[in-house]
Amino acid sequence: MEHVWDFQTVFASWSLLSQGLFNTLKLGLLTLITGLFFGFFVGLGRYSRSSWVNFPAGVFVEVFRNTPALVQIMWFYFAFPIISPFDIDTFAAAALGLGLNTTAFCAEIFRGGIQSIHRGQWEAGKALGMTYREQVLRIILPQAVVRMIPAFMNRVVELMKMTSLASVIAFGELMHQAKTISTYHFNPIESYTVAALLFFLVISPFAFLVYHLENRFRK
Amino acid sequence: MSLEILSCRNLKKQFVENQVLRGIDLQINKGESLAIIGASGSGKSTLLRCLNFLEIPSSGEVSLRGELIGSRQNGQVLYQERDLIPIRAKIGMVFQHFNLFPHMTVLQNVMEGPRTVLKLPKSEYESRAISYLEKVGIPEKRNAYPSELSGGQQQRVAIARALAMEPEIMLFDEATSALDPELVGEVLDVILKLMQEGLTCVLVTHELGFAYSAAQRVLFMHNGVVLEEGSAYDVLVEPQQPRTIEFLRGHSRFQLPSPKNSQ
Repeated sequence: MEHVWDFQTVFASWSLLSQGLFNTLKLGLLTLITGLFFGFFVGLGRYSRSSWVNFPAGVFVEVFRNTPALVQIMWFYFAFPIISPFDIDTFAAAALGLGLNTTAFCAEIFRGGIQSIHRGQWEAGKALGMTYREQVLRIILPQAVVRMIPAFMNRVVELMKMTSLASVIAFGELMHQAKTISTYHFNPIESYTVAALLFFLVISPFAFLVYHLENRFRK
Repeated sequence: MSLEILSCRNLKKQFVENQVLRGIDLQINKGESLAIIGASGSGKSTLLRCLNFLEIPSSGEVSLRGELIGSRQNGQVLYQERDLIPIRAKIGMVFQHFNLFPHMTVLQNVMEGPRTVLKLPKSEYESRAISYLEKVGIPEKRNAYPSELSGGQQQRVAIARALAMEPEIMLFDEATSALDPELVGEVLDVILKLMQEGLTCVLVTHELGFAYSAAQRVLFMHNGVVLEEGSAYDVLVEPQQPRTIEFLRGHSRFQLPSPKNSQ
């Protein structure tokens, strides 16, 4: 059987696709920013001498790092509303699942980056009379963040791909929109190919940035 | 008149099972230069690190200018980080491995303390940093990064960084142990100059010759206690304790002879 290529129907549905692209970026960027922000504190929390801080931080990271993002999204959409007093829409469920997942991974990147800084750097700051906060902000982070950049870029790549998981709860991101188009026009080859290309266009710059940065840091 | 700068009483430090300091009593007076010697594992570095609270003593008292550091509770001294931060700012520390901040230039390294900790205005912390770089003899390297300097230069920057805080006392933790032999001299020259200017200095060192010629008082530590203490001549040349004698013999086992034609 000869397949008759029909990209017309896909491009005719461009408004659906662009909506999907927008939602993918919205979900990805929001979870990235919240993940970076909270991940920083969770990562520092794992350093705390108080077990009231480091224990929950550790549990949080292990739970969200060691369960599939798909399960987290499904859980927040189908299970969470049953035990919580308020409703949750598809975007909120996807953002919660991916956001917590990203927080956990970013916490590990922060922890690893900070750990890679020699103890003598902390001590030198401390010996000058710096507070913990000053040691972190003036001495440790400026050195650690540079080393973390490739890991964060990898995280962005993974996260942008994971946003497609939100299609299982019918959040209108790119993957879900492609599915809609394919069932409507019976053109799965064309619609999924275009979706894949769009994902590639969005994600590949980050991947190339990783190569570039890794090469630069190797020098 | 001797003015006490830093002292400790019955200072003990235990790491899990390992008792590293077993009760140290020590008084360091203004302008004094004190060298602490001893085999590795004798507790000399730990003692130094307890004096500026990079290690928190397990028990015992430390006083700066006669004032007890920490708060006393039920006969024990309680050390809380917020009480220790201002103390550390008054005690300069130079590390074996320099620990310069690699992301900052030499000048920024030296400015960091006066800027972040003392919160001086820019004009002041900058001129202060330059004057201490001049003191250690490398003002021309101010815009270099630590990685571009030799070990000896790095250690001199680290000394300038500590001096820029204008501390009451300087602690040197094996400041020359990580240096190539030909770079040791330039760092010892700087330390000697500081001592001669009357800065109170405590140095943990393996350079016995330097300890002899520069330190007024020498302490020999063994197994977490001070075994012998006295003038540099008494401890290094005419030691009384068998352990001290053994330690010094080990250090002078291999020595170059003097040239035959010299007297």
